[in-house]
Amino acid sequence: MAKTISVTLKVWRQKDAHAPGRLVTYQMNNIDIDMSFLEMLDIVNQGLELKGEDPIAFDHDCREGICGSCGSVVNGHAHGPEAETTLCQLHMRRFKNGDVIVIEPWRAEAFPVIKDLVVDRSAFDRIIAAGGFISVRTGSAPEAHSVPVPKENADLAMDAAQCIGCGACVAACPNASAMLFVSAKVSQFALLPQGQPERRSRVLKMVTQMDNEGFGNCSNHYECEAACPKGISVSNIARMNRDYLCAGLTSA
Amino acid sequence: MSFARGSLLSSSIFRKQLVALTGLVMVGFILGHMAGNLLIFLGPNIFNDYADKLASLGELLWIIRTGLVISILMHIYFTAKLTRENSKARRTRYEVYTPSADNKFARMTMIYSGILLFCFLILHLTDFTLAEKEGAASVLGAQKLRLFGLVWNSFLNPWRDLVYILAVCSVGLHLSHGIQSFIQTIGFNHPRYTPWILKASVILGIIVAVGFSSIPVYVMVRQHTIGY
Repeated sequence: MAKTISVTLKVWRQKDAHAPGRLVTYQMNNIDIDMSFLEMLDIVNQGLELKGEDPIAFDHDCREGICGSCGSVVNGHAHGPEAETTLCQLHMRRFKNGDVIVIEPWRAEAFPVIKDLVVDRSAFDRIIAAGGFISVRTGSAPEAHSVPVPKENADLAMDAAQCIGCGACVAACPNASAMLFVSAKVSQFALLPQGQPERRSRVLKMVTQMDNEGFGNCSNHYECEAACPKGISVSNIARMNRDYLCAGLTSA
Repeated sequence: MSFARGSLLSSSIFRKQLVALTGLVMVGFILGHMAGNLLIFLGPNIFNDYADKLASLGELLWIIRTGLVISILMHIYFTAKLTRENSKARRTRYEVYTPSADNKFARMTMIYSGILLFCFLILHLTDFTLAEKEGAASVLGAQKLRLFGLVWNSFLNPWRDLVYILAVCSVGLHLSHGIQSFIQTIGFNHPRYTPWILKASVILGIIVAVGFSSIPVYVMVRQHTIGY
């Protein structure tokens, strides 16, 4: 017989982008502790649907911790209390019987709530469109050994490229700043030879877009790093800071 | 004042770097100021000589003062702007928000410790820098001890001591976050040195708080034991 717990959920319910939201309490009994957090929400929604009520809207896709779709603030922690774990990989065994669990959407003006726990993260897409790519010639793939990459740089670039764009950094930041996301995307190119030709213009364009989207300013609290499900380091922010300074003060 | 979109002065990063640089100027001043103040432990002659040497710098002193005033004004102007933008970036607050990174008290209170120490700065300037150094307030045991006497007599008031100690603690708190923040903002981060920089920042904050606090404590203790 699987171990079960009872928890009290306080979930942010908001009809649409314009309606005011509020926390609604749901008492959940007999929750199997081996359930994931999202499976627990599925059970809540099943109950709501059977009663003819509107289910809680939340984003999710792979449920394997790699797509970046899911994410809510659980008891004040983006993606919940488990370190380097997306919300879908958080399990109910992390909670105790009788716990009160407050579930809120990412809160940032740049991420407006669409419904309940679902927010519009297209600001991230526009930042990527502003410069998060390399303009390459088309044609056959070049010989791999023709562009040597130092092992250390390859590792750091891969670390930065682990960012799944979930937005937890913005949610956790006291200033709702997107610096960890943008710096990871800037770094993965800045560390590799293929990213060099557009290195200066890329960082200028992406930061300008970031500022235009209405994210806050980084004040080095490092809450982003603590919340990031992929453990992206704030050393990427330092790299972006120095790249930006160099790019801003010198002409190409 | 607003700056053209996309220009350096309108960018979040460059403005933070200006805040960082002007902060560094003031950190330099504070460390020098503390080193000078601690000369009070060596007695009135050395302390007053030091004050005279500073005053005799002439134009150089005014260049330093102008630099400091510009730094303070820029630091305040850009942090005010950044703080306003930050509160606009999240209008709906979380019902529950649990910060988990280190040194969070200093980080969450930067703007308050900053405001507090600016108010203190004005009080401090009227207390000592702008005060009459030859008058009755400088007399200690029938001797005219100028700035030394003025400082000594001021710190005989326990309320003033309390205000000063609280103020220098807020300076220390501000620096415990500010120094490592400067290094990160300017773009330096290294897997070997950064953990030490984070620690050194806190230690330096404590040194500044303890160093400045030691003066009113010394005056009080000495006055009540051997007297001046």
